[in-house]
Amino acid sequence: MTLTRLIIFALLLTLGRPTTAQPTAEPESPAVFSPVTWERLLNAGSEPHNWLMYNGTLDSKRFSQLDQIDTSTVASLKLKWAHHIPQLDRAETTPLVVDGVMFITESPSNVVAVDAITGRPFWRYDHPLPDDLRICCGRNNRGVAILGETLYMSTLDAHLVAIDGRSGSLLWNQEVADHRSGYSKTAAPLIVKDRVVTGIAGGEYGIRGFLDAYDADTGEREWRTYTIPGPDHPDNRTWAGDSWRTGGSPTWITGSYDPELNLVYWGTGNPGPDWNGDVRQGDNLYADSVLALNGDTGEMSWYFQFTPHDVHDWDAIQIPVLADIELDGETRKAMLWANRNGFYYTLDRETGEFLLGKAFARQTWAEGLDSNGRPIRRPGTFPSQEGTLVAPIAGGATNWWSPAYSPRTGLLYVNAFDGEALFFSREQEYVEGNTFTGGGTETPLAIDNYASAIRAIDPSTGDIKWEFPITPRSRAGVLATAGDVVFSASVDGYFYALDATNGQPLWDIALGGPVHASPMTYAVNGQQFVTMTIGNVVYTFGLDD
Amino acid sequence: MRRKHLTQCLLVILVITLTGPSWTTQTIAQDTNNPFTSRIDLRMGQRLFQTQCTTCHGLNATGGNEGIGPDLTTGRFRHADTDVGLYRVIRNGVRGTAMIGLGAEPPDQSIWQLVTYLHSLSSTADDPGGSPVIGRQLFNGKGNCNRCHMVNGEGGRLGPDLSFVGERRRPSELLADLVNPDDEVSPRWWTMKVSGLDGRQFEGLRMHEDTFTFRIMDADENLRSFEKYGPWSYERIQSSTMPNYTQSLTPEERNNLVAYLFSLRRDR
Repeated sequence: MTLTRLIIFALLLTLGRPTTAQPTAEPESPAVFSPVTWERLLNAGSEPHNWLMYNGTLDSKRFSQLDQIDTSTVASLKLKWAHHIPQLDRAETTPLVVDGVMFITESPSNVVAVDAITGRPFWRYDHPLPDDLRICCGRNNRGVAILGETLYMSTLDAHLVAIDGRSGSLLWNQEVADHRSGYSKTAAPLIVKDRVVTGIAGGEYGIRGFLDAYDADTGEREWRTYTIPGPDHPDNRTWAGDSWRTGGSPTWITGSYDPELNLVYWGTGNPGPDWNGDVRQGDNLYADSVLALNGDTGEMSWYFQFTPHDVHDWDAIQIPVLADIELDGETRKAMLWANRNGFYYTLDRETGEFLLGKAFARQTWAEGLDSNGRPIRRPGTFPSQEGTLVAPIAGGATNWWSPAYSPRTGLLYVNAFDGEALFFSREQEYVEGNTFTGGGTETPLAIDNYASAIRAIDPSTGDIKWEFPITPRSRAGVLATAGDVVFSASVDGYFYALDATNGQPLWDIALGGPVHASPMTYAVNGQQFVTMTIGNVVYTFGLDD
Repeated sequence: MRRKHLTQCLLVILVITLTGPSWTTQTIAQDTNNPFTSRIDLRMGQRLFQTQCTTCHGLNATGGNEGIGPDLTTGRFRHADTDVGLYRVIRNGVRGTAMIGLGAEPPDQSIWQLVTYLHSLSSTADDPGGSPVIGRQLFNGKGNCNRCHMVNGEGGRLGPDLSFVGERRRPSELLADLVNPDDEVSPRWWTMKVSGLDGRQFEGLRMHEDTFTFRIMDADENLRSFEKYGPWSYERIQSSTMPNYTQSLTPEERNNLVAYLFSLRRDR
């Protein structure tokens, strides 16, 4: 065989290799991605080139060890690719990246797998939905979870589905609750060992909230913990009469997990009806709380209620950020929580003890927090027939979008909003499947009169170390990286980077669409990327190749 | 004759096709006046409004936050000028807009009660009763309003376009605008004052501001754009650039001007 023939033969061999399952990331790999074991999820922080769960890691710091994009290089970011979501609605996704493959959820309950370098698709799964959905706030989905080679996704018809990560085929489809009664599902599940832990939405429909865990292989339910205790439990007496049956308290954002304590942490939403508390006198446990549940059984270890007897729709639907911090010379296993009610809290995550708290945004409803962290309400701040002006707004001083914590700076970065609203109370009868809010809210001035800010909070004091003003507001999450860069976005379509140490702007780009999502970062073949969904487009940026 | 009959049949089919199923099932809405206008009906309409409409139109029907649904308290409705028209909009929605309609499920009575409630929201009780004709003369003459405000394509650009101001402001609010112009200034009409490091200064109306940039129209109607983190300092002046008409117009003249402004609505 001549040399020429040898070369031609080698070329033919190369060209003839199967390419259908080869990601650009690892062309030598026989698999699209290697199975994501529980051990990988436990140590997700040690493989920062991947983003293996909704909050990046089980402690939900939303902090990446990647540092190629840092304070000196971030200004050179360039657009690498964009993926257009075909269904027009709110895009609230945080994608996962596993070994060069990105999984993006789309409105209403779909998921697409794309090459993380090019954004081009491998497969998509479109979940069929009935026509009679009950959804309060847009047809959205925030992300998937992965275990092994299977993706787990919540759907708007209150189902949990398992999808093959290599092909997009449906593996099982489990009804979690009856959507006709007002239940829906929007949050990414959380994997805990071999279980899929998943919450429920429907706080504006008089549901009774719960948190579930399902066998990852079979889809069989392993435990359910109601977020409103039944009549056999003493805490049920925090609800007047039968109001607990329709008391809401949903669980529509992904929680966190501490493997050493074997505790799942999950926030709960508003009691229902939202704005008429007269029909549900009492503290309304465990609405607007964080619950600490045994990961194997769902048994409650402790709870902390941020807003007893909430009448302003201030869901405690924030991501529990788990960090060990120095407090009074002692290292504490802490939980950091900037709440929709305007207060920041540091809790002991072993016991639920309140360690400190302070307002981080404009609030007019409480004098402060007492020594147990219970708010000291100001009189005359309940919703009324004619409207009562209160800060924050119903949407909160912050909301479900992610905060981020950097161990390098020791700061928690939060998207805060200094707004106010008129809160109206109305009588309303519960009708199954109908909205059950008991009133409403209006902002008295145009939204331009108010402002948001990224605020950097010191969790050992609750003090705000710096802030970056956003005009007029933001509904975006925050990402922090080892490059000392904080990424976020604004409602008018800016994606931007700040210096994590002082809040100085380092880079920005106007992408035009409204933002309802949180940024994430990953790397393929040694190159770091940062991804943000703006409008209905998933954008990915990186430095020059 | 046979051909004419066929044409009539086709016409009926076409009408049914175009109007959809609501035409065939909701016959009551075709030609009749609203038969449900009592106080009880009004209250029931209000209840239905609060469960079905407040998400977009606001609890008091004055418009949703961030511009989702229009103000329904002005007495003027963009897509209907009769009760039957309102009925159809409520039931069928408005194609191409976010107004989706309640569909076929609610009974006729409920839709009519909603119509009754919507009518109760608008009031001309605070109309000062001036002359719109004289008001128009004042607008373009003594008041000099047209120097800054445009009406139907004529006038200045340094104030809000008032072509349809009667649809969004009540007479009492218009009167208050004349005598207390600083009380309620939309951020669009704030003034941005910009100072450059090189000593240059700019001042203009705040056309748009975001996190990193803002744009103004200066007194010469030039459009200028600035980066917030550029070589500039800037401040927002939240008072109005409009003069106070307490001294320059008599109460009667102000009433006439209000009557003119309140008359500025879309032709139907």
